[in-house]
Amino acid sequence: MTREEGTTSTRVTNAQRAASSASGDADLFTAFTISSTIWLLIATAVGVLLSFKFPYPDLATSPYLSFGRLRAIHTNGTFYGFASVALTGVGMYVTARSSGISLWGKSYAWAALCCYNIAAILGTITLDLGINNGDQEYREWVWWVAIFFVAAVILSTITIVGTIAKRAERYIYISNWYIVGAYIFTTILAVTSAILFYQHGLGQVAVQGFYMHNAVGMWFTFLALGAIYYTLPKLLNRPIYSYALGVLGFWTNLVFYPIIGAHHFEFTPIPWWFQTLAIVFSVGMLVPVFAGTGNFVLTISGRWERVRRSMALPFIVVGIAYYFLGSSQGTIEALRSLQSIWHLTSYTVGHSHATMYGFITFIAWGCIYGLLPKATGKEPNPLATGLHFWLATIGVTIYVIALSIGGTIQGLNWAQGDPFITSVESAAPYWMARSIGGTMMFVAHLLFAYNVYLMTLARRASNPDAIGVVHA
Amino acid sequence: MKGGMNNVVLLVGIPFVIYAILALLMGALPGWVLSQTPPAPGVVPLTAQQARGRATYVAEGCAYCHTQQVRPLKQDLVFGRPSVAGDYAYATPELLGSERNGPDLSNIGSRQPSDVWQYIHLYEPRSLVSSSIMPAYPWFYRVKEHADRGDVVVAVPPGYAPSGRVVIATQEAQDLVAYLKSLKQVPLKGAVKR
Repeated sequence: MTREEGTTSTRVTNAQRAASSASGDADLFTAFTISSTIWLLIATAVGVLLSFKFPYPDLATSPYLSFGRLRAIHTNGTFYGFASVALTGVGMYVTARSSGISLWGKSYAWAALCCYNIAAILGTITLDLGINNGDQEYREWVWWVAIFFVAAVILSTITIVGTIAKRAERYIYISNWYIVGAYIFTTILAVTSAILFYQHGLGQVAVQGFYMHNAVGMWFTFLALGAIYYTLPKLLNRPIYSYALGVLGFWTNLVFYPIIGAHHFEFTPIPWWFQTLAIVFSVGMLVPVFAGTGNFVLTISGRWERVRRSMALPFIVVGIAYYFLGSSQGTIEALRSLQSIWHLTSYTVGHSHATMYGFITFIAWGCIYGLLPKATGKEPNPLATGLHFWLATIGVTIYVIALSIGGTIQGLNWAQGDPFITSVESAAPYWMARSIGGTMMFVAHLLFAYNVYLMTLARRASNPDAIGVVHA
Repeated sequence: MKGGMNNVVLLVGIPFVIYAILALLMGALPGWVLSQTPPAPGVVPLTAQQARGRATYVAEGCAYCHTQQVRPLKQDLVFGRPSVAGDYAYATPELLGSERNGPDLSNIGSRQPSDVWQYIHLYEPRSLVSSSIMPAYPWFYRVKEHADRGDVVVAVPPGYAPSGRVVIATQEAQDLVAYLKSLKQVPLKGAVKR
């Protein structure tokens, strides 16, 4: 055997191995996306039902369909069943591509997907039976359910860190800083918060403020920003505008975010200085938000025609816009003068949808539409994608504006000393508008599910054999 | 610049250490310190029945719409005096809440001491407050042909009552109402430090 032959055969083997393992990456991306889409449909169907209980409080009166039980199923289902799984699927694919190799430790990734789903299924069942940790938002799951989620995060961390360690590229790309960070932070966060024995009364309130804000900021925000740093330049076919701004955003997010949790409990007996510290760093959050948004907009600048012709990029652009608006809104809300009016009203619910939906969910969709067809070789339907985009964009905008106005009126009613029921009556039309926006969002999710089917399980439309089979 | 943050050990290790310190300082430590808050004078643990009622309050997610935190703001004084740290010494899991689709309940035991009102309201809130959006909780009640000895009969207003039959409060309803009636802020004597 000559040296040349040996090299050639090795090359073929490597190519075959790369092809088969790349299809392993695609299989994982596919499975994570399908799983997350199922949870999106379940959790937002619940959300629509909840919203209609405001105008029609006697709708579906049953313990298993009651507002107090379903609300946590909606929020935890969207957080942990949908968004976590969707962004983990994207994150793993991004890590593998930017590391120049196929994903390392695929069995850990599959085990992670199982654990995410076990947690979401057990969590949904227990919450519907009234088994929970109290109204501690986003950590209502009891510890023996949450432990499966923690296991899923740790298993995902192993796959992602392992892939980066084995990378073929010399440098670790900035998107991977954010993605690795998300898994490390969330492991620490989940352990800190899921251990309940040291938390009593007001102490539990302090941990809850820390937890609920960090779950959004150190998990979803880092995952979504990491996904943008890869997908946006990839789809625009140009490098990110500034690597340094990405690095600045990383460190400022890491240091500022953990300090601001107490702004969820302003005016409570939590120490006043602790609340003030949270407010000061809430203003500091403008630094990473401006750095990130500026970096993304300058990357897009001059390529708007490409955005217009893309199916994926418009989702990312809306996601970036809501990242900027929702995060800046969060800073403004933290100021005491405004918090005294807006806190405890529906305004907050509008804010959480601006960020978790307008930002996080749109980024997940943009990355899935942008990357999944590259992985599977199957395209979504352009009309369904367009309808998905416009229904979701208009729907969430109606949702946020309605609750911002309605919430402000509630707060003003209270401030001028009206009877409590006046605030319920004056918010009613805005709650109805929210239901209309929410229904549009749900219809958009059905179209997304159809597109996920086309991008994954459907037969390849361009395959002449498939067409032949259909005609035969 | 090979090395630095291009070394995977440092990429994992440095953010891990920074965040672990911040989680300790901003999450675990305040949580532990504030957990040691002693009860305010007069704040006592719940009775067994009240505790069962609180468990039902937790299970049904009442706290998603009803806060238990009176802020030191003019608009909150209708609900009671501003809450203090010692009010929550026995309140685990915490039920401060984040949204007021309904009124604050920190002091509801003093503001609405009638169990007759609470029973009717939980059975069908709109029978007492026409524009209320609170869910009805008929599963806390039994509808029977005749009341037996020892039954807690609920005088549901006409139009909302099942015709010709009686509505009986179950043990769960009695426990929940006992908890609601226990929500009374203790008066604070002397200067309130904050």
